[in-house]
Amino acid sequence: MKIRTAKYIVKEGILNVYKNKLMSLASIGIIIASLLLFGIFLLIVLNLDHNTRALESIPQLEVFCNYNLDETLVGDVEQAIREDERISEYRMVTKKEAFNKLKEKFEGNEDILEGYDESFLPVSFIIKLKDPRDSNEIKEKFENMSKVESVECPQRSIELISKASSWIKVISGILIAILLVISIFIISNTIKLTVFARRKEISIMKYIGATDWFIRWPFIVEGVIIGIIGAVVALILSGYGYRALELRLGNDIVSVSMGFFEMLKFRDVVLVLVLFYSFLGAVVGAIGSVVALRKHLRV
Amino acid sequence: MVEFRNVTKRYSNGTVALKNINLKIDKGEFVFVIGPSGSGKSTLLKLIMKEETPTEGDVFVNGYEVSAMDMYDVPYLRRSLGIVFQDFRLLPNKTVYENVAFAMQITEALPKEIRRQVPMALALVGLSKKANAYPAQLSGGEQQRVALARALVNNPPLLIADEPTGNLDPETSMEIMRLLCEINHRGTTVIVATHEKSIVDMLKKRVVALDKGVLARDQQKGIYTNEDKNSQIYS
Ligand SMILES: Nc1ncnc2c1ncn2[C@@H]1O[C@H](COP(=O)(O)OP(=O)(O)OP(=O)(O)O)[C@@H](O)[C@H]1O
Ligand SMILES: [Mg+2]
Repeated sequence: MKIRTAKYIVKEGILNVYKNKLMSLASIGIIIASLLLFGIFLLIVLNLDHNTRALESIPQLEVFCNYNLDETLVGDVEQAIREDERISEYRMVTKKEAFNKLKEKFEGNEDILEGYDESFLPVSFIIKLKDPRDSNEIKEKFENMSKVESVECPQRSIELISKASSWIKVISGILIAILLVISIFIISNTIKLTVFARRKEISIMKYIGATDWFIRWPFIVEGVIIGIIGAVVALILSGYGYRALELRLGNDIVSVSMGFFEMLKFRDVVLVLVLFYSFLGAVVGAIGSVVALRKHLRV
Repeated sequence: MVEFRNVTKRYSNGTVALKNINLKIDKGEFVFVIGPSGSGKSTLLKLIMKEETPTEGDVFVNGYEVSAMDMYDVPYLRRSLGIVFQDFRLLPNKTVYENVAFAMQITEALPKEIRRQVPMALALVGLSKKANAYPAQLSGGEQQRVALARALVNNPPLLIADEPTGNLDPETSMEIMRLLCEINHRGTTVIVATHEKSIVDMLKKRVVALDKGVLARDQQKGIYTNEDKNSQIYS
């Protein structure tokens, strides 16, 4: 293809989007809706994946003492751990360490922690077991100690999350496929209307010897422009939505200090979103155009 | 240039539009295709431009075996043809100049070539002054001349016109036919399907007459009506 032909094609495609404003807007709306739904699933999957991996790097059990224990009472707990033969190693997390860790989590908005110090946090012990099958018994044993507040067992969360995330992946895969087909169908129908309005023009072009691709390209450009505009709007909306969620969950001290769920930062997911949205938007737009034109090129 | 060998065309609904046609048109000829409505004139032209494919037999055009042609080659066949219709078929949102230039644009011609050829084609049909007008601002005769300029701008060896004067008054029709003759004199082969008895009779060109899909008469320097006094078929 020559550059001047490419120029003609791009110009024609942009003009088409503009001339069929209403149709274009309808198509853009549909693309935004499908991309947003798609984005929600993608973000859930990404976050679940991130958390499974994060949890896998955490030791097997963490015993939290009551936060108001003095040092001798903490020593009692430590002794109980040391004496248990099923435990291979352990490490104490002091109040200071716990507080520093918390500060790390709030990096960027440390002001949330203002007015707090380490005293409200418990001392904890991270313990590794010789045999992971003992984890239930050990959990029970320490939970029954009056000096122990709770025993966290990330192992279980890992299993739960990874099970959930594989299901969510399957379900979202299916839903995304359905969404793609539906949006291609709807886009191709809107473009069909513009094709129909221009069917005379198309047949004239065929009579004077235009190739199918020469006729097709401007419509593809039209579809891709619609898809990209939809992708940009969907990206902005997802950005705002994610930020809002991030702030709500992130500010919740309890959920973070439990270390149960850590949301990915928006800047970590934005690239994936940009790639997926623009690719899907463009592909849906282009396929929609080609499908719409199929019938009208046979002259 | 154009050859039909034992060509039969049956449409999918069963209508037989052409029956065993054998026809040869040489380079530089001017041919009228005549016959009553439904006799197969348009079908004959559609087989030449590969809008339809023969059910039986072979069609050759400009060195292409059209009947066996791949769909992907059809645009290139059509670029070697100038095609003119009864209803002009101009692009309404392009000016006269743009309509003619467009036929070159789709062949990816150089802008320099386009700037040279388009004014020449418009001059040939006498429309240089209307280059910037839109089709809706032109009379029927002028629109058909734009269509002619567009058909000629790529210098095709063969021009096909299906009732080019069907929508025009007699005087304008005569002008268009004169133009077709002039184009023919410049070396382009011209095939015209028409009902214009007076013009056919006056110009005394080769006449190919169809009747119910059968080639009824093929006559050099013919007239519209069969000269055989015993069978006045078309009067
Ligand atoms: N696409 C089609 N499908 C089915 N039958 C068709 C089709 N096109 C033409 N026919 C039939 O084929 C026959 C020849 O049609 P054609 O258009 O070639 O006639 P014509 O000589 O051009 O007539 P006119 O002078 O009215 O234009 C007619 O009986 C017509 O009804
Ligand atoms: Mg006809």
